[in-house]
Amino acid sequence: MSAPLLSVDGVTRRFGPETCGVLAVDNMSFDVRQGEFVSIIGPSGCGKSTLFSMLGGLLPPTSGRIAVEGDVITGPHPAVGMVFQEESCLPWRSVIDNVAFPLELEGIGKSERHDRAQHFVELVGLHGFEKRHPAELSGGMRQRVCIARTLAAKPRLLLMDEPFAALDEQTRLLLGDKVLQIQQELHQTTLLITHSITEAVQLSDRILVMTYRPGRLKRIVEVHLPRPRNADVVTSPEFGATVAEIWSDLREEASRGMAASEVS
Amino acid sequence: MATQEALTKGLALPRLIAIVVILAMWQALALSGLLFRDVVPPLEALVVGFVGVLISPDFYANLAITFAELLAALAGGGLAGLVVGLCLGASRFASKAFEPWLGYLGPTPKIILFPLLILMFGVGVESKMAMGAVSCFFPIAISVAAGVRGVDPVLLKVGRSFRARLDQMLIKIYLPAMIAPLLNGARLGFGVALIGVLLAETKLSKQGLGFMVMDAYQRFDMPRMYGLLIVSVGIAAVVNIVLEHLAIQAGHKKPTKH
Ligand SMILES: Nc1ncnc2c1ncn2[C@@H]1O[C@H](COP(=O)(O)OP(=O)(O)OP(=O)(O)O)[C@@H](O)[C@H]1O
Ligand SMILES: [Mg+2]
Repeated sequence: MSAPLLSVDGVTRRFGPETCGVLAVDNMSFDVRQGEFVSIIGPSGCGKSTLFSMLGGLLPPTSGRIAVEGDVITGPHPAVGMVFQEESCLPWRSVIDNVAFPLELEGIGKSERHDRAQHFVELVGLHGFEKRHPAELSGGMRQRVCIARTLAAKPRLLLMDEPFAALDEQTRLLLGDKVLQIQQELHQTTLLITHSITEAVQLSDRILVMTYRPGRLKRIVEVHLPRPRNADVVTSPEFGATVAEIWSDLREEASRGMAASEVS
Repeated sequence: MATQEALTKGLALPRLIAIVVILAMWQALALSGLLFRDVVPPLEALVVGFVGVLISPDFYANLAITFAELLAALAGGGLAGLVVGLCLGASRFASKAFEPWLGYLGPTPKIILFPLLILMFGVGVESKMAMGAVSCFFPIAISVAAGVRGVDPVLLKVGRSFRARLDQMLIKIYLPAMIAPLLNGARLGFGVALIGVLLAETKLSKQGLGFMVMDAYQRFDMPRMYGLLIVSVGIAAVVNIVLEHLAIQAGHKKPTKH
């Protein structure tokens, strides 16, 4: 087995003072290997986005260590690409210029970066929308622009934080299909954060289940569904069994989360 | 857009009526003889004064001077405002510590500083430029600071995650994200810089539009003075309309927020 692409070792993040602050992520350790698709699932507010920011080098951990390709990260790492939970298209740029943005930062000339960006625009199925601005697109299309933009930087590790959270169920399933297809085409190592069990099972090789307050790793579920997959896997009995297994784990955490939010 | 057009169409007639009514009242007042004939001259005298201003080469020379002073004031005050605004917007500490000062000093009339500026820069164009620069510094610094804080934080995370350098962050993220507040700051800054420059020209001065107005007043050449006032207000209005139009256009390209 090859060395892990991402290794997370005892990572903790606290907001506010030691005694009364929020312990958002508590002592998490896991690895992601080359070519794997790993999902992190947990109830709302359990610290997923906090972990995501730390993995992307945007937020320093309070303690613990994160390494990408063996380098301990102290800031954004060139091998890592991020897709954010919030809407993150640059609204003043057309689709093609959004996707070409990371290439522009690298100093690649206009015609070459447009050529390269075009490939990723087509990959996410936005052919014909190159000249449109984000405000003219649907939410699902905008999220695909962001995915294409991050892919255009050719990350060796793709991090996505609930990229489909704001979308309706049908769009989510179809986009999940798109992500599967992209992953199988590019052999893209991916860490996907989600709170949708079906999405996690449909896409992943492994699923990390998080607890609520403090955010800890509860357990790791291996998904043995055959690849290549498509949206139809959701109908297989094995899919149902895996979903049920994760749901029983999550139900407890989710209800603790609900109780906590009702109190506050 | 269609509704906006209809709205503008419906507004044109009442606006026209208001203008006609105001002009008619002016003319009635002028002809009534209630006030000094020269203080409220009849419309035909105003037209003569206005045309007289437009055809005098003297006017264009002075206009050029005022314009140059205004440009220098906007460049100096604008650059200082931009730098200070960026610093205040970027640092929560600096904003808490110093932004109230801008809030207090911004609205005070800068003309009280004019004697000081004359001592520092002399009675020539330099003190007028300084007057305009001091005036436009405050609104520009305040709008830039607010603009920096208004940039969607996720766009900054995007820039950082792609490892943009500081100059790339400024040019490719902050600047386009702030275009509307920047233009708004420019509009406010232009307005007060013009006031500052013209006001300074009416004091201790031998050139510029402000000087011409005072000169016409001292000679009691009312039609010429009114002509100058109409031209000055017209120029200010046109610049304001252009800047506001630009700001609206920039605003249209902004995200339809969720
Ligand atoms: N900058 C911050 N300062 C203080 N507390 C924070 C900060 N960011 C996050 N938190 C707290 O940390 C906890 C975890 O937040 P986080 O955003 O990581 O959750 P999440 O799992 O991503 O939730 P969701 O599924 O709703 O996106 C929350 O209780 C939140 O209030
Ligand atoms: Mg989150």
